[in-house]
Amino acid sequence: MKKWMRTETFAAWAFMAPGLLIVAVFVLWPIVYGLPLSLTDYSVIGETHYVGLDNYVTAFQDKSFLASLWNSMVYVLIVPIIQIISILMAILVNSRIPLIKAFRAAYYIPVVTSMVAVALMWSWLFSSNGVINYALIQLGVIQEQVGWLSSSNTALYVIMFITMWKGLGYYMMLYLAGLQSIPTDLYEASMIDGASRWQTIYRITIPLLRPHILFCTLISLMGAIRVFDEVFVLTNGKGGPGTATLTSSLYIYQKGLVQFNFGYASALGLIVSVIVGILSILVFRLNKKGGVQTY
Amino acid sequence: MKIVKKKFRSWMSVCLLAALFVSLLSACGSDAKDNEAQDGKVTLKFWTIALQPTFNDYFNGLISEYQKSHPGVTVEWSDYPYDAISNKLLTGIASGNVPDVVNLNTEFANQMASKGALADLGQWMSDDEKKSYFDGIFNSTVFDNKAYALPWYTGTEVLFMNTRLVKQAGLDPKNPPKTRDELNEWSRQIKAKTGATGYATTFAARMFPVEGISILNDDKTAAAFNTPATLALIQKMQGLIQEGVLVKEDANFDKQIQYYSSEQTAFEIAGPTFINFIKTSAPDVYKNTIAVPLPTGKADVRLSNTMNVVVPLKSANAEQAAEFAKFLTNATNQTAFAKAANTLPSTKESIKDSFFTENDGTLESEAKVVSAESLDKAVDYMVGVPNAGDVNSAIARQLQEIFMNGKDPKQGLTEAEQEVNQILSQN
Repeated sequence: MKKWMRTETFAAWAFMAPGLLIVAVFVLWPIVYGLPLSLTDYSVIGETHYVGLDNYVTAFQDKSFLASLWNSMVYVLIVPIIQIISILMAILVNSRIPLIKAFRAAYYIPVVTSMVAVALMWSWLFSSNGVINYALIQLGVIQEQVGWLSSSNTALYVIMFITMWKGLGYYMMLYLAGLQSIPTDLYEASMIDGASRWQTIYRITIPLLRPHILFCTLISLMGAIRVFDEVFVLTNGKGGPGTATLTSSLYIYQKGLVQFNFGYASALGLIVSVIVGILSILVFRLNKKGGVQTY
Repeated sequence: MKIVKKKFRSWMSVCLLAALFVSLLSACGSDAKDNEAQDGKVTLKFWTIALQPTFNDYFNGLISEYQKSHPGVTVEWSDYPYDAISNKLLTGIASGNVPDVVNLNTEFANQMASKGALADLGQWMSDDEKKSYFDGIFNSTVFDNKAYALPWYTGTEVLFMNTRLVKQAGLDPKNPPKTRDELNEWSRQIKAKTGATGYATTFAARMFPVEGISILNDDKTAAAFNTPATLALIQKMQGLIQEGVLVKEDANFDKQIQYYSSEQTAFEIAGPTFINFIKTSAPDVYKNTIAVPLPTGKADVRLSNTMNVVVPLKSANAEQAAEFAKFLTNATNQTAFAKAANTLPSTKESIKDSFFTENDGTLESEAKVVSAESLDKAVDYMVGVPNAGDVNSAIARQLQEIFMNGKDPKQGLTEAEQEVNQILSQN
């Protein structure tokens, strides 16, 4: 065996190679190939012509695409809400109260449930003649049935709620891992100093959880912008009513795989990727410090 | 020196990976072997949607009959689920594994034809062969005088009626409504007397042709629906929603089944397949349901939902494929298939068979006869519309904005028109 083959670097690359290959073929290559595709009217089934920047010009004049971008941006609103609730849940399940393991399991069940099943279940609950309307009418909160998923005032928020409900357990587990890595002597010191419960959370827990918050914020941000499954299932792939729940991923899917405008869909995909990139950089900038430092 | 070596090693690793990556990609992109006729022998790949295993006997018989009468031709039959056929076809065309005869619905066939992906079957057909199909159905996939698909099995909509609710409202199911206006009047009375809504529907482009409104102009180059008549129709429908005649929801077929099964609506406009769903989900409602001819709008037409067969342009055996497509959809075979599958044929001759006129009193039989009687008025609402899928969703989105989100109808129609014109300009 040659000397360079015995180096750690070679071993590292060799171990990473299978995974890197898969990523390269199924992630990196489509991104790279998407750029030239976005400059054509590629449709798989017909002839392909070079159209220059036409797809990009069309994209910024396309009201449905702009509406889908707006909806995706609105969807991002759930990111901080998910973080706050899941941190509080993690703090709760990190305490020693009875039945806590059952709570942990219960919160985690939606995470391992298929999104299609979750979306179908909620679609029944939220349907006009569903349990939620029935309960609210019985309680006197509403006078008549509300079309939660058929009204533009509520449809997007209902789907956001479903996304949040399903994701909470996952982020809670990540934060729980973070909480358990915080040295207990810090909490003991704060108790001796007379810090209140909220002061402990605000001054110790949150700052030391920052790396986890950064990671969770990033993945939930990307998830929010790329949300597809729940919208697809709950609106039959339309993103309706009108464009009320049309997200950028769903619109790209419609343009590419339903209408065969793959060139245009590639342009839209690249625009969305750039937006996700910019937002990710912003999140990084805002979360530079924090975490448990080892000296 | 060490640093240079390290850098060199890293670059080597990256280069090795890149080489592996490129070789893998080139393996992916190797040309698939074309389905060429060798020694005069031809293999036709025939793809259908959701017909196996139920109709295996019918198709195996049909294929062996065709192979006997066409020595040297072998038909390979594959069947795919409804949701998978478009992806399968795309990947098939992209990878060179092009099928020769494919079963598609009208919208998808038009979408593919617009992209230049289908062969003009008209070049291999006589005038008599073209005229053997119902005109309204055959013309739905004709544009630029080219026939891009042959109609196969079809279904027209009928009106299903909950007789319990109808009688409770003091109406006589034996004298059903004949026009849309009468249907709306009945719905008003049902709402007032029983509390149930008239019917649920989807807000889509299909509501235009029913009232004689053209979706596109004659040469299919621009939208033609932004007219005072359309505006009046939309305002009328908004009134119907407010009155409780129409359900205020863009209710897809599943939703419509739910509403009708739970007696929240008294009517359902659907094809005969609707019966199978209520039979299992609401047996009591099924017992009280009758099928009557669908009340017509101003255009006096009834919409058909047709399955077609097409031949992809890249088929290596387009002419032989067209021959098989004609055989599959001729009157004799359509009659036999309609009997086996309880569907309707799209050929004029088939409908003369007593099977389509005999009514044994069951709801299924009633719906079949009523549906068959409508075939001469049948028309697909996407008649020769290029990029049908795009046009459809552009109109549907604006209609939903108007009906569900309170958008100004004039503005919605104008925006839909602009979007449709933009779609058409891409052709």
